[in-house]
Amino acid sequence: MVDFARVQKELHECNKDIEVSGISIKLKEDNNNSLTHLTGTIPGPLATPYEGGNFNIDIVLPDGYPFEPPRMQFATKVWHPNISSQSGAICLDILKDQWSPALTLKTALLSVQALLSAPEPDDPQDAVVAQQYLRDYQTFAATARYWTETFARSSTLGIEDKVKKLVEMGFPEAQVRSTLESVGGDENMALEKLCSG
Amino acid sequence: MDDCTSGEEDYYYSDRDSLDGLENDESDVQWVPPKGPSSKVITKESLLAAQREDLRRVMELLSLREFHARTLLIHYRWDVEKLFAVLVEKGKPFLFDEAGVTVVEKDDLDSFIFATVSCDICMEDVPGTAVTKMECGHNFCNDCWTEHFIVKINEGQSKRIRCMAHKCNAICDEAVIRNLVRKRHPDLAEKFDRFLLESYIEDNKMVKWCPSTPHCGNAIRVEDDEFCEVECSCGLQFCFSCLADAHSPCSCLMWELWTKKCRDESETVNWITVHTKPCPKCHKPVEKNGGCNLVSCICGQAFCWLCGGATGRDHTWSRINGHSCGRYKEDREKNAERAKRDLYRYMHYHNRYKAHTDSFKLESNLKETIREKVSNLEKKDSRLRDFSWVTNGLYRLFRSRRVLSYSYPFAFYMFGDDLFKDEMTNAEREIKQNLFEDQQQQLEANVEKLSKFVEEPFDQFAEDKVMQIRMQVINLSVITDNLCKKMYDCIENELLGSLQFGIHNIAPYQSKGIEKATELSVCWNPKDENTEKCPTPYSPNGIVTEPGRPSGSGSSYEGGCSSRNKRPRTGSLGSCTIDLNLPADVID
Repeated sequence: MVDFARVQKELHECNKDIEVSGISIKLKEDNNNSLTHLTGTIPGPLATPYEGGNFNIDIVLPDGYPFEPPRMQFATKVWHPNISSQSGAICLDILKDQWSPALTLKTALLSVQALLSAPEPDDPQDAVVAQQYLRDYQTFAATARYWTETFARSSTLGIEDKVKKLVEMGFPEAQVRSTLESVGGDENMALEKLCSG
Repeated sequence: MDDCTSGEEDYYYSDRDSLDGLENDESDVQWVPPKGPSSKVITKESLLAAQREDLRRVMELLSLREFHARTLLIHYRWDVEKLFAVLVEKGKPFLFDEAGVTVVEKDDLDSFIFATVSCDICMEDVPGTAVTKMECGHNFCNDCWTEHFIVKINEGQSKRIRCMAHKCNAICDEAVIRNLVRKRHPDLAEKFDRFLLESYIEDNKMVKWCPSTPHCGNAIRVEDDEFCEVECSCGLQFCFSCLADAHSPCSCLMWELWTKKCRDESETVNWITVHTKPCPKCHKPVEKNGGCNLVSCICGQAFCWLCGGATGRDHTWSRINGHSCGRYKEDREKNAERAKRDLYRYMHYHNRYKAHTDSFKLESNLKETIREKVSNLEKKDSRLRDFSWVTNGLYRLFRSRRVLSYSYPFAFYMFGDDLFKDEMTNAEREIKQNLFEDQQQQLEANVEKLSKFVEEPFDQFAEDKVMQIRMQVINLSVITDNLCKKMYDCIENELLGSLQFGIHNIAPYQSKGIEKATELSVCWNPKDENTEKCPTPYSPNGIVTEPGRPSGSGSSYEGGCSSRNKRPRTGSLGSCTIDLNLPADVID
C-alpha cells in the first residue's frame, strides 16, 4: 500500500514553499481525487530554452511508494534529449535504479528540473533530439524554445498565475478576472482587451 | 560407473603386492598435466562449508566481521585473489568503498539513543527504540527499513541491499535485514538467506550448478582451471566451461557449432541446393532425373537446367529455342561446387564421428558380458587370479573411443573454413592436417585392435591363450593411452597453441577419465591446523579448501584423513588404470 500519510505530508510541505521553488504538486482531478495519481508542475529553468514555460508532469505512485520510485512522465510536450518527444517518458536515474526512499516527490521534480538545464545527450531517451543537440545546437535550442512557447506557456499557466501577472501590471483584480474569463483564459488576448479599455 | 568393487580390489591388490605400486602412482601423477583440477561436489548441506574458507581468509586478513567479508566477496565475485590484488594496488578504503562496506566501532552505534526520532522516510516521529542505525550512520525507523528490505528481496536484490539514504552506497548488515524481515515474513527471511548462500554459486566462475535435469541440487567447484570436464555425484558428466556434454578435444565453440549443425537440417538444405533447382514459376525444388536440359516442373513451367531460367517448350537436344545461357558465369559454378564439397566434407566427418559414438554405445553393453566372462574365469581354478586387466582394458577402450569420436568434429572445424580460415595458409593447414590425421589413424587402428581382443570369448580359452590375450590387452591399453596423450599434445601445442586468436581452450586429457567430483565434507573445522598454514593471500593453489589434498605430493598423507585420500582413488574405475602400467612394464 502507498504510504498516504507520507504523501499528504509531502504535498503539504511542497506546496508550502511554492513561492520559492515554483514547484507544485496537485491531485489529478479526473481520478476521484486519489492520492496515487498526481500532477506536478515545474517552471522551465532560467537561461535555458525552457525558460518561461510551465511543465506539467504526470505522477503515478506505485503500491510500494516510497520504497519504489514514483512513475513520472511529462504531460506537456517538451523538446529535450532525455525526454521522449512522443510520450514524455523521462530518462533519469533516480526515477529508476538510483531511487532512494529518502527522496521525495519534490526532490524528484527538482531533479527533473535540473535535467532540463543539464541535458545528457550521451544517454538519450529521444535519439532524434539527442542527435540534433550534438550536431546542431542552434536548431535544437530554437526548436526547444518554440516547443516551450507553443506547449508550455498559456495552457500550463494556472489561472491564478495569470491573474497575478496582470494585476502586477496594474489592472484591478476583479476586472482582470472577468476579462480572462471572457476570452477563455488566454493571457495575451486578455491583456489586449484590458489595454483597449 | 558401478565397478566400485573391482576397483577396490585393485587398490588393495596393488597395495599389498608391492611398493612399486606407490612409485608408479607418483610417476603417474607427474605425467598427467601437473595441475589436475580437483573438483568438489557442493550439496545444499555443504554450501556453507564450501564458502567458509574464502570468508575466513578475507575476515582474517582484513579483520572483518563475516557479513563484511561476504559483501566484499560478492562484489568481487568470490575471486579472493582479485580482491587481494585490489587491496594491494588501491588500498583498503578504495576496496571498502567500491563494495559498499563501512566499518565502525560498535560503541559508536550504541551511543545513539534519543527519546524520539523523526524518520525521514515515513516522516513520522518514532521512539528511539524503534529506530535502527546502519553502519553508514543513517538511521530510519524499523518499519521503513523492513519495507525497504522486503521490496529489495522481492526485486531479487538480496545480495546488494543498499542503505535507504540517497546516494549512500553502503550495503546493509545482513543480520539486521534478517531480523527485521523475519518478524514480518519468516519465509522471505529464509529466501534472503538462501540468496546470500547461493551467491557463492551464482556469482562465482569457479562454481557452477550441475546441469542435470531433473536437477540433482548439486553444484560443482573446480580449482585453478575452468576448462575441464567433471562428473557430478549424480553421475552426469559435463564440460564445466559450457555445461554441455563432455566434448574434449573439441573446444566449447566447436562443440556448439557441431551440435547445431547436426541438429539443424542444414545439410538437407545443402543437398537440395546441390541436387535441385527451383522452378522459376512456382519455386518448388526440381530434381532432374534424366533427359535433356529442358526441364519441366509439375506446375507446367519449362526451364533451362543449365541456368534455371524460364524457357519455352520448343527444343532440340542441343539447344532450347530462343534461349542461350552458354556464357560462363564463374560465381554460380563456384557456389554449386562449394556447397557440394562442404556437404561431402561434413558427411565424411559426421560418419566417422557417428560410427565411434555408436560403437561406444554398443560397447557399453559389453560391460555386462565382460563381467560374466570374468566370473567364469574366476570359477576356473587357474594361476591367473587378477583380472583387473579386463576391466582396465575395457575402460581404456571406452575412454579412447570417446576421444576418437570427438576428434572428428574437432578436425572438421580445425581444418575447415568456418573458424580458422585466416589463421593459416593452405600449405600450413595441409601439413597440420596430415600430422593430426596420422595420429588419429594410429589411435583408431589400436582402438579397433583393443576392441577386438576385449570382445574375444576368452573365458572359453585355454590358459595360455588367455595369457596371450591378457598381454595384448595390457599392451594395447598402454599404447592407446599414450596415443591419446600424444594426440592431445598435438592439438594443444601444434594446432590450437599456434593460433593467434587463442579463444579455443580444451579440457586436458585425463588418462583416468573424467574426474569425479568428490563430496565436500560438511563438518569442516575452520581451526584445522593444516589450513592455519596457508591463509597467505597469494597461495599458489588458489582456493585452498581441503587440507587433505595438496597437489600430488607425499605430504598429503600427514593430513590424518587417510580415508579421504583413499576415496577418490578407490571410488572411480579410473583409479584402476594406475595399476595398468605395472604389468605392462613388467612384461617389457
